[in-house]
Amino acid sequence: MTMDGYAGRIAYADLSAGNVTIKPTPPELKKQYIGGRGFGIRFLTDMVDPKTDPLGEKNILVFAAGPLTGTGIPLGSRYEVSTISPLSGTAMSGNSGGVFGWKMKKAGFDAVVVTGRSRRPLWLFLDHGMAELRDASSLWGMTTGQTTDAIVKDLGDQSVRVACIGPAGENKVLYACIINEKTRAVGRGGAGAVMGSKNLKAIAARGDLPIRPADEAQLNVVKERVKKKITENGIEQALQKYGTAVLVNIINENYVLPTRNFQTAHFPAAEKVSGETMAATILKQNKGCFSCIVKCGRVCEFDGEHGEGPEYEPDWAFGPDCGIDDLKAVARANNICNEYGLDAISAPTTIACLMEMAEKGYVTHPIRFGDAKGMLLLLEQIVKREGIGNELAAGSFRFATKYGHPECSMSSKMQELPAYDPRGIQGYGLATATSVRGGDHVYGYLISPEILGAPEKLDPLITKGKAPWVRTFQDLSAAIDASGMCLFTSFALGAEDYADLITATTGMKTDPAGLLMIGERIWNLQKLYNIRRGFGRKDDTLPARLLNEPLKEGPAAGQVWRGGEMLDDYYTLRGWDREGTPSTEKQKELGLM
Amino acid sequence: MTESGNRITITVKSFATLREVMDAQLRMKVMEGATIRSLFVELCGRYEGLDERLFAGPGTFRDYVNILKNGRNIQFLAGLDTPLEDGDTIAMFPPLAGG
Repeated sequence: MTMDGYAGRIAYADLSAGNVTIKPTPPELKKQYIGGRGFGIRFLTDMVDPKTDPLGEKNILVFAAGPLTGTGIPLGSRYEVSTISPLSGTAMSGNSGGVFGWKMKKAGFDAVVVTGRSRRPLWLFLDHGMAELRDASSLWGMTTGQTTDAIVKDLGDQSVRVACIGPAGENKVLYACIINEKTRAVGRGGAGAVMGSKNLKAIAARGDLPIRPADEAQLNVVKERVKKKITENGIEQALQKYGTAVLVNIINENYVLPTRNFQTAHFPAAEKVSGETMAATILKQNKGCFSCIVKCGRVCEFDGEHGEGPEYEPDWAFGPDCGIDDLKAVARANNICNEYGLDAISAPTTIACLMEMAEKGYVTHPIRFGDAKGMLLLLEQIVKREGIGNELAAGSFRFATKYGHPECSMSSKMQELPAYDPRGIQGYGLATATSVRGGDHVYGYLISPEILGAPEKLDPLITKGKAPWVRTFQDLSAAIDASGMCLFTSFALGAEDYADLITATTGMKTDPAGLLMIGERIWNLQKLYNIRRGFGRKDDTLPARLLNEPLKEGPAAGQVWRGGEMLDDYYTLRGWDREGTPSTEKQKELGLM
Repeated sequence: MTESGNRITITVKSFATLREVMDAQLRMKVMEGATIRSLFVELCGRYEGLDERLFAGPGTFRDYVNILKNGRNIQFLAGLDTPLEDGDTIAMFPPLAGG
């Protein structure tokens, strides 16, 4: 047992050979990369040739918690999954909450590195420091809920926690996700398809091994401090009451809510799918992840159906982006994504792309904006790869390009954009255009200062001065993702809080500057990997619509996204050359060469 | 275009927890030349509990409160002295976030 917040072991599951090797967690890895996303990107860099096919045998999947996962720190529950994304082709890492990350550590593991490919379906069992592969033939074809129930029943132990794929992952839909506890998702980038390509159906964790911090007394002091900050923070209070979908109205009232595949940025019926309406209608109760005191999760019931969510992003994507104002249809679609294991951003936005193309006559299909019934049918077809669903399973960019209209794909690096229009939020546009995993909002959430006013209000319509904010947010987010903390803590906490938590937990003394440097190291490592996969300046951009077609209403009327005014500043600040390649000096400074 | 001589009509919307103390949406007639400041004097007089949800002290909003005039945050206009015009929509948000 270690006294540093870590479980102390990493399991290496070789699916081709059918065995698992267990080794101690390397001290230098902890020091340089903390955990989570840092571990994942380092393993990917060290073990996988950048030319590797994301769905090929040689890609890997890394499940990794952080030292703050499961130590009882408020909102310390996350684990990350890192791999080469089959959707974007980038080195990606995505995280999920719930309980699985904590349980993985209680089972004795900081990380699981999955390599190779099995000829038959398997699942991996982590149990009190032991790990073994088991036959999953009877689980293949099951939904995520069925899979979870079957494994728990098989083991006869309700304390077991399961992360698994559904039929979407088995069918290698390029944006299939991984689901733990039936409703928590490693959503973006298609990690579920990679898992399916390896014939790995699930990972289950059981255990009650202790997780000990280096300085328990000091950790308790810092815990109380951060708990007070989170509890007293007005933003966190609103998250508890209305969930993340409380954003629908404020984003809409700012005229930056992408509507009908980003053709406009204001949805007149937004109130019908808002967090306020959800709370007043289908919300049964709120729910939190392990050790959460915010509990932003939504447990919803309607028409005999029970599920969790929708969160803001799928609420927007199945709602306004598809021109749909039926909250129950949106929630139903979200439940389908959870059951089948689909990314609830890329799936609906790919459907929105089809809706626009069908309306414009670019493809022959009866779907139109606002057709909720048709949208639900398309989801099923995507999962099963039936009919046009087989083409949509490749994501909007490949689909739109196939039919000669790539401009209809609202994506960056082939990954669909989230729920904000960059034409009215210039800094956010830079953050998502330069995101090292493609279209994204959580790798640098500039919405916080530019729309929500936290930690301070920045004018969303100007480009000047945005590059330093983007860089800092990206680096801090990478460090938070490595630590095991939920990103939502960043509305209330600052870099000094995370640094103090890491110091007390791990015994590795750090400060805000040291923490940001670790984040910068992770960001640059991910960037370097992408460069070796052929990404460059040409890819750090947004769809032509956002560059050339001005918004028509609201305060940003007449504006396009002006990335060209910010990109050089951003590269210079990062110590990168004009093509976006980290300089030799920068790589040496970060210990990357 | 003004109504009733020197009065103008605006729409006020409230969101999230502000709806616990005031209407979600209302149309109001205010004097021509009115500002956001005078609007809030009237609203806070009308709705008990609104003042403490919006203001930390006289003329100072609580952290993360956002007030929009036709979609533009008043911080980037003239703040509380932002003038109101006929047909304006004022949207009021307490601290909130998501993602």
